[in-house]
Amino acid sequence: MSDRRKHLEFLRKTAREAIWAGDYERALTLYDDGLSLARSWKDHDLEDLFTCNRATTLIEMDRRDFDLSKLKEILLRSPSSYNGALAAYVSANAHEARGEYGRALFYAQTALTKSREMRLEELTGTSLNLLANLELHESRFEAARDLFQEAVERLESQGESLSRQAAVATDNLGYCHIALDRVEVGLPLVHRSLSVLDSLGARQAMDYPALDLCFAHVKLARLDEAENWGIRALGLGKEFGRQDVVKNAHYLLAETYSDMGRPTEANEQYEALASYYPDFPALKHYLHQISLMEVINLRA
Amino acid sequence: MSPSHSPRKLNLVGSRIRELRKGKHLTQTELSDRIGIAQSDLSRMEQGEYKVGLDTLFKILQVFDLKMGEFFGETESPSEPETRELVKDFRELSGDARREVRDFVRFKKMQEQEQPQEEKPAPEWTGGPSGEKTS
Repeated sequence: MSDRRKHLEFLRKTAREAIWAGDYERALTLYDDGLSLARSWKDHDLEDLFTCNRATTLIEMDRRDFDLSKLKEILLRSPSSYNGALAAYVSANAHEARGEYGRALFYAQTALTKSREMRLEELTGTSLNLLANLELHESRFEAARDLFQEAVERLESQGESLSRQAAVATDNLGYCHIALDRVEVGLPLVHRSLSVLDSLGARQAMDYPALDLCFAHVKLARLDEAENWGIRALGLGKEFGRQDVVKNAHYLLAETYSDMGRPTEANEQYEALASYYPDFPALKHYLHQISLMEVINLRA
Repeated sequence: MSPSHSPRKLNLVGSRIRELRKGKHLTQTELSDRIGIAQSDLSRMEQGEYKVGLDTLFKILQVFDLKMGEFFGETESPSEPETRELVKDFRELSGDARREVRDFVRFKKMQEQEQPQEEKPAPEWTGGPSGEKTS
């Protein structure tokens, strides 16, 4: 590997670690630097790679200020390369973030097919995880469970360096089991995921596992546990600006307090949740009397 | 700890959504358009096969714009938790006690009708069948 490549590979590795630690701004700066260098060296492969990585970071940051057509261009220009498969995967993520699930599905399937053909185990695993998430969004829990299971197996086979992605897929698998009323199967999976993420210092990925544990414990009527995990999920959601996590945590905490017979705390949580829906003033009153636990999908 | 402390809530389930939709004379297509999901997904939801996020669930509640009685499948039902509890307590009373409560309610209604302004003196409550003063 040339010194230039080594330098850029170091930038990528450092940026990836920054993402895992939740420091997206730093990751973005590193990817911007790498992209500039690749362009100045006229290294098109690395330029494509950094373009994809940079877009992934922006998606994680809920930003859309990147050129999606550039990713499609990479896919069309290099359909049988790692960059092509990665561009398909990032495109799928971008469409998912925009709520364009049909397109997301198409690009995720493309990424999976290409990564399988090229035996790219990590990308195969993450593509399976993405496809499973899309199935989950459509409430196809059994199909999602099977895909998550395969994703976990692929990612775990890649060794320690990929355990963060394996941990995320393991949490998703656990959630599927919990939603399918197999809480006893799902709980250990989510705990395992959380333990790995904690050991890696990947705090920004710990919000959903905490939320899933809260959900599971509400289902089991283990309300003290549900309260602990709900508070943790809420804190993480706020820390990393994840509105979906925050809203779900408020809801689950409200149900927990309601079941505990602590109406004041329940009301506080319902009020916090209702504040996101100012055009629905009666919401809080509905929530005091109607449980949505049977119809809620924390991943939709 | 068991969840028995809180009053039981009604579980929103697919079949209830179907009933409420029909009660509002909405087709699946109309309701799915209003809540922003595909008609086929609403159909799955009514069959208990499709779960959604809070945003969609709240849209469903908002579209139905329910009185709680409708939701609980009652012809007439109070919406306030306090009032529901009052009705529950009333139903547990004996016949004499119920009559006394009804007399008192009539008295309070009459009091409010006769004295909308503050300057008029309030009629005095003389009690129910037992003659006992209640307030």
